[in-house]
Amino acid sequence: MSLHVSIAPHVHSKDSTATIMRDVLIALLPTTLVGVYCFGLNAALLCVLGVAAAVLSEYAYQKLTGQKVRINDLSAAVTGLLLALNLPGNAPWWMPVVGSFFAIVLVKQLFGGIGDNFMNPALTARGVLLASWPVKMTAWYLPTFCKGVDAVSTATVLGGYEASAMDMFLGFIPGTIGEVSKVAILIGFAYMLLRKVISWRIPVVMMASFALCAALFGMEQDMVTSLLSGGILFGAVFMATDYTTCPMSPVGQYIYAVGCGVIIAVIRKWGSYAEGVTYGILIMNIVTPLIDKYVKIPVYGQEKAKKEAKANA
Amino acid sequence: METVSCGNVLLFLVSCVLSNNFIFSRFLGCCPFLGVSSKVETAAGMGMAVTFVMGLASLFTSLVYQYVLFPLGLTYLSTISFILIIASLVQFVEMFLKKSSPALYKSLGIYLPLITTNCAVLGVATINVSAQYDILSSVLNGVFSALGFLLAIVLMAGVRERLETSHIPEAFKGFPIGLFTAGLMAVAFMGFSGLV
Amino acid sequence: MRNKPKLSSVFLNGIITENPTFRLVLGICPTIAVTSGLINAIGMGAAATFVLVGSNFVISLLRNVIPDKVRIPCFIVVICTFVTLVQMLLQAFIPSLYASLGMFIPLIVVNCIILARAEAFASKNGPVASAVDGLGMGIGFTLAISIIAIVRELLGTGCIAGIPIFGAGYDPMLITILAPGGFMVFGLTLGVANIIMKRSENKKAKEAK
Repeated sequence: MSLHVSIAPHVHSKDSTATIMRDVLIALLPTTLVGVYCFGLNAALLCVLGVAAAVLSEYAYQKLTGQKVRINDLSAAVTGLLLALNLPGNAPWWMPVVGSFFAIVLVKQLFGGIGDNFMNPALTARGVLLASWPVKMTAWYLPTFCKGVDAVSTATVLGGYEASAMDMFLGFIPGTIGEVSKVAILIGFAYMLLRKVISWRIPVVMMASFALCAALFGMEQDMVTSLLSGGILFGAVFMATDYTTCPMSPVGQYIYAVGCGVIIAVIRKWGSYAEGVTYGILIMNIVTPLIDKYVKIPVYGQEKAKKEAKANA
Repeated sequence: METVSCGNVLLFLVSCVLSNNFIFSRFLGCCPFLGVSSKVETAAGMGMAVTFVMGLASLFTSLVYQYVLFPLGLTYLSTISFILIIASLVQFVEMFLKKSSPALYKSLGIYLPLITTNCAVLGVATINVSAQYDILSSVLNGVFSALGFLLAIVLMAGVRERLETSHIPEAFKGFPIGLFTAGLMAVAFMGFSGLV
Repeated sequence: MRNKPKLSSVFLNGIITENPTFRLVLGICPTIAVTSGLINAIGMGAAATFVLVGSNFVISLLRNVIPDKVRIPCFIVVICTFVTLVQMLLQAFIPSLYASLGMFIPLIVVNCIILARAEAFASKNGPVASAVDGLGMGIGFTLAISIIAIVRELLGTGCIAGIPIFGAGYDPMLITILAPGGFMVFGLTLGVANIIMKRSENKKAKEAK
């Protein structure tokens, strides 16, 4: 069986889309499991519905428009799971369905399908859900086992909830399903590095630039809390590294990652949202085409040559 | 005193460029935004021409409003006088550039006639009046809002250059996908709300 | 006049064949700005229609008097007069609509639909035909923005013209009445309109065979 591979041209391994996507799904497994452990059956339901709706949307769209059905490349499943992991654990069941539909049909397929979208589908859908149902999307509650009773609604750490560094590291804090457990995200990160699915560049630079800005701006939280709270680690590892929506050249990736970190810090410090990860990455998604246009090693060479020619003339 | 006002100018800039972007949250100037955004270079040229005209238009319209229309009780004539000021301003700028700076004229000239009917220019003049800005604030509002337009149109052009190679369905090519793209970009810009 | 265009076809031209919003994609800014609710859309449509009919009529009457070189400024002055008239009428009689349409009333002046019709039709045709053209274009514009407004208001609030349709169980998708939703719904409606037009054209072509 030959699968059509149409990811951006910077993929340097011979892996097909399906292999890469399968590795991403495996990398997401720890964080999904911890999320389900923390937030119970509803979180599991959201993940299943998110994946199912995404795959079904992709299948239906490709059937209806007479294209070859490519749900086997698993990219829709990854999008659906990422979207579900970006929801609060007690979100209503229809939210991942609406979100996955939006992500697959309107953000990905409308622009031509895999490799053609310019914004991260899961993240854009999350932005749309957040703008549409702001109350439901920010209704946090504690992991069920923390207080012995279920569904204690509370603020996130960024909203003022106090948690120890260990709790934040392990994931015993309120938040979205995927973002709470830093240790699970790091395991996934390590796996993806090992399998060479992503490079360390974007996540590490993004976290570093965010930390630097946090120190400069003087956040309400201390440094450890800033780094371990909210969705920044999840965003840096799983969202900002999306092949089609980040720059191709290494230099471009540095610029992109620094931009993400700075914008997130600015929104956390001064914006009306407590968390800015979604928007930081989305804005840099939009800037990516410009980065790719101007930051290419061959173009640099040409410009240099031009300048030299001018100087000589 | 000095530092406070400097801080205010910075806040004003952030508000006009990011939080209350002319395109993404006030939907002014959409026609050139969609019409002249297929190439980054031309989009930048258009943006700069708009910045130039919007700054000047803010200055002259608010001068006329504050020293002529308002004292004489002729505020109902503001729309008509603003549009005439803008039209003649554009004409004048075009002639002036042609004579004094042919290089700049070459790069901005072709966009100038289009600007008369750019609703962002008349829009900013109207906002200046309704927000009761003094002359300096009006000019700043004009220039900063136009910089927001410049940012939006350049980003849009970058995205559209990339979309050229995308397999967009036939019925959605052109304006439909352009509008939808602008909508998705506006989602991202929502993150800047409340910065000021 | 060599051959006078038939009034009925002039009228329908603006509504379907050359619908200013769906076919010519003119006047994007007001379309997005006023379509968060049906009432606003109809109000804006009516105001624009009034200006279109009036300015087309007057410009057509003056078409042989206006020197060709300064025709655009002259058109703008005529259009602006009617816009100011609308502005005053609304302010006096429907202040609530005046307040919700806000700055987009004076901006009718720079709505490209109106200048485009003055240039393309009124400056070449008789006053009656021009007024009918203005009416058709105005109604076409109103219909188009009403469709967009219905979609946005229904999804964004569960209501149409303020009247609840979906009932209390519906959790409104707020984004459709916000700025991003305006762009998105307009873009999608435009794409769907393209698909429908294409289908009907194909059908006609088949029938012709």
